[in-house]
Amino acid sequence: MAGHSDSSSSEKKSSEAMNDLPIFSAENMQNNMKVIYYSRTFMSIIGGVIAGILGFTSLMGFVFYFLVMAITSFGLIAKAKFSVHSYFDSWNRIILDGFMGGLMSFVLFWTFAYDIVHIF
Amino acid sequence: MAEDLVLDTAIRDWVLIPLSVVMVLIGILRYFVSKLMLSSQVPDPKIVKEGQVIVRARNLRAAANFIPPKSFRSRRVYFSNEENGLLFVPKGQAQNAQAQMFSDPNMAMDMMKKNLSMIIPQTLTFAWVNFFFSGFVAAKIPFPLTQRFRSMLQNGIDLSTVDVSYVSSRSWYFLNLFGLRGLFSLILGEENATDDTQRMMQMSGFGFDPSKSLGAEKDGLDILQHEWALPKFEHRAEAVLKKLIR
Repeated sequence: MAGHSDSSSSEKKSSEAMNDLPIFSAENMQNNMKVIYYSRTFMSIIGGVIAGILGFTSLMGFVFYFLVMAITSFGLIAKAKFSVHSYFDSWNRIILDGFMGGLMSFVLFWTFAYDIVHIF
Repeated sequence: MAEDLVLDTAIRDWVLIPLSVVMVLIGILRYFVSKLMLSSQVPDPKIVKEGQVIVRARNLRAAANFIPPKSFRSRRVYFSNEENGLLFVPKGQAQNAQAQMFSDPNMAMDMMKKNLSMIIPQTLTFAWVNFFFSGFVAAKIPFPLTQRFRSMLQNGIDLSTVDVSYVSSRSWYFLNLFGLRGLFSLILGEENATDDTQRMMQMSGFGFDPSKSLGAEKDGLDILQHEWALPKFEHRAEAVLKKLIR
């Protein structure tokens, strides 16, 4: 049980499943947080470009952003093999973290792509 | 949209793209300049010692439940003892440390340099944008906004019937400013100096660090209740070993 290490993924086990008491390795937690942040930023940039090219406007665009975030969350959860508690300390982290920062990048690239493709 | 303006391709070529490219390049430049300008200041040994004491106290607080009650209590007394406890700092002395830090010319220069390296490129770019790129519609943002944003976003444009979605290049500059933060964190790896809010928080936290946080740590340590979390560790060790054998 302890020798199970995932060297191909970049997420590290941050807590051993003790009987009652979760112990967190702070360094691994931080690394996992970084991975989430990078994934979200990247996906929001790509999502922004896609939304711009497809010509989404206003509400549809924001719905698309939520969709992209949901896909990112799902991908992260699947990468953590659905046992979220052994990689993060709460559900909120993997679902909501980096939401707002991603939003700004999304809007920027969405505007950019939309203008280049549709207006000019 | 009601009216769909068609904008000149030249705007796209000569405004949007150069502005974004310039901002990215300035960000990268600032990152490298901040790396070069990292002056090595000799840290004051007293401050370093206090910092380490704080770290130690924090570790004690975090891992308090894993050591037996008696040893936790003895460590706590070591820290918060009235006479020679490490965390107990008389009021007068605490203020002194903080004042000294601000009057220290070296440290003040450092903070000034960091501040300037953040503010100057932003100011310069903003002035450049205003000078060259004002007075025309630069981009269209894909979502509608209320009329109140008109004055903010459509600064050089003097037609009041144009849709608020058509913005001037100043707002494109601001959009870039916020949106490129994520991009910088991807390109430049960790530690990039482009995130203003983080820098400001760090800067305001640094000056007050030793004097107040000692008292805070002491209070935290005093409050902490000790719960012995490994009472049955012999049983658990037995269970783990049994699992391994099987």
